Amino acid sequence: MRLNIDGLLVFFPYDYIYPEQYSYMLELKRTLDAKGHGVLEMPSGTGKTISLLSLIVAYQRAFPLEVTKLIYCSRTVPEIEKVVEELRKLMEFYAKETGEVNNFLALSLSSRKNLCIHPEVSSLRFGKEVDGKCHSLTASYIRAQRHSNPNLPSCRFYEEFDAVGRQVPLPAGIYNLDDLKDFGRRKGWCPYYLARYSILHANIVVYSYHYLLDPKIADLVSKELAKKSVVVFDEAHNIDNVCIDSMSVNITRRTLDRCQNNVDTLQNTIHKIKETDAAKLREEYRRLVEGLKEANVARETDIYLANPVLPDEILQEAVPGSIRTAEHFVGFLRRFLEYLKARLRVQHVVQESAPQFLKDIFDKVCIDRKPLRFCAERLQSLLRTLEIADIADFSAVTLISNFATLVSTYSQGFTIIIEPFEDRTPTIANPVLHFSCMDPSIAIKPVFQRFQSVIITSGTLSPLDIYPRILDFRPVTMASFTMTLARTCLCPLIVGRGNDQVALSSKFETREDFAVIRNYGNLLLEMSAIVPDGIVAFFTSYVYMENIVAAWYEQGILENIQRNKLIFIETQDAAETSMALEKYQEACENGRGAILLSVARGKVSEGIDFVHHFGRAVIMFGVPYVYTQSRILKARLEYLRDQFQIRENDFLTFDAMRHAAQCVGRAIRGKTDYGLMIFADKRYARADKRGKLPRWIQEHINDGSLNLTVDEAVQLSKHFLRQMAQPFRQEDQLGLSLLTLEQLESEEMLQKISQMAHQT
Amino acid sequence: MDEEPERAKRWEGGYERTWEVLKEDESGSLKAMVEEILYQSKRKRVTQSHAQVRLGMMRHLYIVIDCSRSMEDQDLKPNRLTSTLKLMEGFVDEYFDQNPISQVGIITTKNKRAEKLTELAGNPKKHIAALKKAVDMPCVGEPSLYNSLSLAVQTLKHMPGHTSREILIVLSSLTTCDPANIYELIKNLKSLKVRVSVIGLSAEVRVCTVLTRETGGSYHVILDESHFKELLMLHVKPPPASFSSECSLIRMGFPQHTVAFLSDPDVRPSFSMSHLDGAGGPALSLGGYFCPQCRAKYTELPVECKVCGLTLVSAPHLARSFHHLFPLQPFIESPAEDHQDTRFCQACQAVLRDKTVFSCPSCRSVFCVECDLFIHESLHCCPCCIHSRTAT
Repeated sequence: MRLNIDGLLVFFPYDYIYPEQYSYMLELKRTLDAKGHGVLEMPSGTGKTISLLSLIVAYQRAFPLEVTKLIYCSRTVPEIEKVVEELRKLMEFYAKETGEVNNFLALSLSSRKNLCIHPEVSSLRFGKEVDGKCHSLTASYIRAQRHSNPNLPSCRFYEEFDAVGRQVPLPAGIYNLDDLKDFGRRKGWCPYYLARYSILHANIVVYSYHYLLDPKIADLVSKELAKKSVVVFDEAHNIDNVCIDSMSVNITRRTLDRCQNNVDTLQNTIHKIKETDAAKLREEYRRLVEGLKEANVARETDIYLANPVLPDEILQEAVPGSIRTAEHFVGFLRRFLEYLKARLRVQHVVQESAPQFLKDIFDKVCIDRKPLRFCAERLQSLLRTLEIADIADFSAVTLISNFATLVSTYSQGFTIIIEPFEDRTPTIANPVLHFSCMDPSIAIKPVFQRFQSVIITSGTLSPLDIYPRILDFRPVTMASFTMTLARTCLCPLIVGRGNDQVALSSKFETREDFAVIRNYGNLLLEMSAIVPDGIVAFFTSYVYMENIVAAWYEQGILENIQRNKLIFIETQDAAETSMALEKYQEACENGRGAILLSVARGKVSEGIDFVHHFGRAVIMFGVPYVYTQSRILKARLEYLRDQFQIRENDFLTFDAMRHAAQCVGRAIRGKTDYGLMIFADKRYARADKRGKLPRWIQEHINDGSLNLTVDEAVQLSKHFLRQMAQPFRQEDQLGLSLLTLEQLESEEMLQKISQMAHQT
Repeated sequence: MDEEPERAKRWEGGYERTWEVLKEDESGSLKAMVEEILYQSKRKRVTQSHAQVRLGMMRHLYIVIDCSRSMEDQDLKPNRLTSTLKLMEGFVDEYFDQNPISQVGIITTKNKRAEKLTELAGNPKKHIAALKKAVDMPCVGEPSLYNSLSLAVQTLKHMPGHTSREILIVLSSLTTCDPANIYELIKNLKSLKVRVSVIGLSAEVRVCTVLTRETGGSYHVILDESHFKELLMLHVKPPPASFSSECSLIRMGFPQHTVAFLSDPDVRPSFSMSHLDGAGGPALSLGGYFCPQCRAKYTELPVECKVCGLTLVSAPHLARSFHHLFPLQPFIESPAEDHQDTRFCQACQAVLRDKTVFSCPSCRSVFCVECDLFIHESLHCCPCCIHSRTAT
């Protein structure tokens, strides 16, 4: 249908539209008009993706000079593929409605592992191996060597692409990963490099977060993307953690050992080169004196996305003399390495700030701050000069040099923690140096600065105001949308007491309490008897789950549960977990019924959807707080308090509640779906916890569903499940939660919709 | 401990729903509202009649009753099993009343096994007796959908193609214990054109959804006991016949009931064939129905002759089955003001008090709502039309 969104003609490829989709598009339009950033929350399964795509594509067509590109960031490859499929539907609709072939180019980009078509390289199993192998075939100096020695192996796809591919732009159309591969095979071009090259002139790019947020990758892939782009981060409820992870470095003893080997190799290679080709090293030296001016020029003209690892001031200076020659630099690395080794030999926990660390390193081994800052850049240059083919082997030394640059660049927002052993196993020495980023805004800042509109969206972003604070940006729109429902298809219940009135809680003091564990078991047992097909139960941690399951086994609760349903358990092993998941789904499918015990923050809670019968009920045992004794977390909390005035408790609760919402949200993936959401902890009943749940869950929690006993919850669930099992057809939704164009254009409905967006 | 809150809850549950629908009128009285609700519930079943479709008249229906542990749940009074069996008795009665030339068999499933309670037969008495006996049955273990379906299919697949093959499952449990992949069996059922319907007593189970969708049956979940009864009664009406089912002529016997008196010297008391296998019941009798082909005696109809295999029915039976094919047209509902001149119902002669009256589309006679229900559900023909036809 054709919609009129605030004066903009939007083609929407379905016959029906949800009212919240319309409202979402209105907000989005306002954000784009204001050329600002936005935070939008809309429940999953209400067609967020298609609303985003329809509106932005329409906007691009209407104002081709205002918005030139859409950069859509998602988390996983299947999600990326889903977005491309929606886009394809939209474009087909455009072609049908307008009757003309539009010249839109949209493509997805993923790692070499997913895009490689070289017969040998693509058969490798790990992403790193593929990258290394590819590099050893296509690096510029390898190809240069081939001029003198044509027997060296090459990748014919890359050669072909390099020869002709750049002149001919990718024909307009929608390309998912498989399409790119097909196209590559037909033409004999490398799909990966083709995609990387084509994103520069594509209208829509769909790829993973890391291509924008991780400074190491962003520098390679995304730095030349146009400034007038709209960036969308979908499923962005964890974006702060992604930012932090991309800027943090962990160094173990193993890393240092491998690094030692790397340095030795470097030394040997330098020796060899010196004997054969001394001129090359001299040439490099000359270049380093010149400095990084070229890069500086490029950044000033605004062509590049800024790299947070490489701050501006570095670019204006030349590499300091002490590490300009190759031997000196290797010696420098050696000293740095020895210093780190010495630091890891501690017997007690050390926590210090970056300036403290720098002072210490200066006192002990006389390493100045300045050469450290150039470490990463200098290493890249050396690796280029030495023409080392297999980059993958040098990951350890690259990591160390990145660390050196980061620690000397940022005095704020980072902390260094050296732990001689893990907390759980104090007898086993396993020293780790955490260089941990505490400020997610550092990594994302260049994105906000460079692009004109950045949209952060997800099903669970509540409370909305905390994201702008921790990411340090100022949004023009913040809105939360609910699901309009023809029938109440979600039933959140807060179970606070057992049948014997014992308060249920996973808090530390009662964690070992037998009565609580028994009552939790009782809850699961009762639920297993009345909920059909699949139940997913989440615990707060693996340790807690192990303890509880062991206690249940001793009390014979597990045996009773197994009479109703089979039990599967998520473990830390990915292969085991995917096996358990597969069997779980099979058991749901053929009527046996199953329970999946899993952990909040685990793989199951984040990436896997339990549609329809795969998840008729989600039970959240306890409040999933992070492990608060972790030193990294403590440092981060302290930083948040000092810098952003966010109290520790607020942040912890926010973090716990967003994970709880993620977990229970797994069960409802659309309006025809239905499911129970059981929060089994009395603390959920408190307003400070409840208020942090997304609005679309919150509005279904009434006073009658607070602080229930197990029995009461069972009665309510039974009634709910029977209601939901009554026939439900599309006609029932029409006019209420599903609108045709005529219904949408009615005055009354427009008024209703305009009140719907919950401004905060 | 467990008893107290549950009973309180059920009490609340019973009232909650009535509060929601009740609204006071201007005078603050609820009476009109209550009457309206009762009236609406009466109307409901009448309006659901469907248009002319080909129906399967001769039905072979297996009823599968779940007798697993979950049947001891007390959300139906006094428990699910007793309540189900009670309703089932009514269903069997109604079923044979409406489909006299059809057959029923009953299967129970518990402890991962399925057993036949009664074989496929056309006599309601035997089924009802078996159902009555089953009340004391202990409910243990899990049900097995696979076993009960395959047990039913073993018999149903030998049934001739012109009859309908149906299975009705009353499932209380949410789990099933199957020895093999049930989806293979579903495919098999589909190819054999067995129609499987399920009535769930607790919640929607995925495998039943697939089962009923694939085989063309219906799947319902009960809300409470009265809804349960309503759902069961939906299965009394014969299902539409599929176009692929074959047509054939069937030999039937219409035995005359001969009445004899002890004073008559020619007749001697004799055994009925139907009592040969069963113990109990009146053994010797004088009169009865005699098979026109082999002269075997039966005391009840309809029955399949044990000697020559002829289907014995009485003419009214066949006529009763007939009405499904030509359902009486729904009467036209109109406000009472339009019929100022007629103040009495044509059938019961009572004064018309309700707001709406019903008139037959062909003879324009006016009826009250009770008579409308009676005519459509039991008589299946308009008495005034018949009357005028015989008069002319």
